[in-house]
Amino acid sequence: MAAGAARNDLDRFGIIFRASPRQADCLIVAGTLTYKMAPVLRRVYDQMSHPRWVIAMGSCACTGGVFRTYATVQGVDQIVPVDVYVPGCPPRPEALIEGLLNLQKKIREEKKNWGPYVRKELNY
Amino acid sequence: MKERLREVLERFKVNFSAYIIDINEFRGQTFVILGDGSPIRDIVGFLKTEGFNHLQTLTAVDYLQKSGVPRFEVVYQFYSIDQGISLRLRLQVSEDKPEVESIVDLFPSANFFEREVYDLFGIRFMGHPNLKRILLPQNWEGHPLRKDYPLMPEDKPRDFLELVELKERLGGYGIR
Repeated sequence: MAAGAARNDLDRFGIIFRASPRQADCLIVAGTLTYKMAPVLRRVYDQMSHPRWVIAMGSCACTGGVFRTYATVQGVDQIVPVDVYVPGCPPRPEALIEGLLNLQKKIREEKKNWGPYVRKELNY
Repeated sequence: MKERLREVLERFKVNFSAYIIDINEFRGQTFVILGDGSPIRDIVGFLKTEGFNHLQTLTAVDYLQKSGVPRFEVVYQFYSIDQGISLRLRLQVSEDKPEVESIVDLFPSANFFEREVYDLFGIRFMGHPNLKRILLPQNWEGHPLRKDYPLMPEDKPRDFLELVELKERLGGYGIR
């Protein structure tokens, strides 16, 4: 919330929140995932169109955090592929922004690896 | 103990003396321990006629390592809004037959409480209109608030394992 609002303002990085996973490029998992919610997360992720990326935000999403219990998934990377892990409990807005910038860097580096003009042998 | 509560307990003792194991006070809170197999619906109905019109909570305790008492205790906390008195019923429930009469018809708010106790302790409430799990997924095995439930069960839910397998299979194809 703080990262998206006026003080930190994700819009200046070209990051706009969408209301639907079908319009999104990136999914931020921002909290604890339980076994009950795991199929729901997977369904939301499956609704995103390719290419798509995932950020695990916070200790709970990264590793399960302090909730080492019967009901908590110990890290969302068990069911969706995670690109950037942002630790912290909760992460500072600056940490989330750095995670998003790292993801943008990663996307920039891999953008020539997919799409109709992929020519891996040229090694861009 | 308030005078009014004392009166209620006197009548309580007259009516249900066979089921009462103990009546005591702890830090100003009065509780009644009832034996296994007590007619809890009659007892709660009696309390309702005595003016206890608010079921504050309904929960359970697992006394796994306490010897000499039944394993479970279902705890009812009643309050009289008009008279300002409260009373706690602690109903003992054995491990072999964890069954208790439902009080949903007397206190509709007991509906979700009883489902929660069933979900987490496995105590069945006979006569409940919709006794199924309320917090955990319907396909969950075991009752997690029992003391002998493992902290991290080895076997995960089946639909979760399918998701893990799906993710790894797609990852093997290079699909994100």
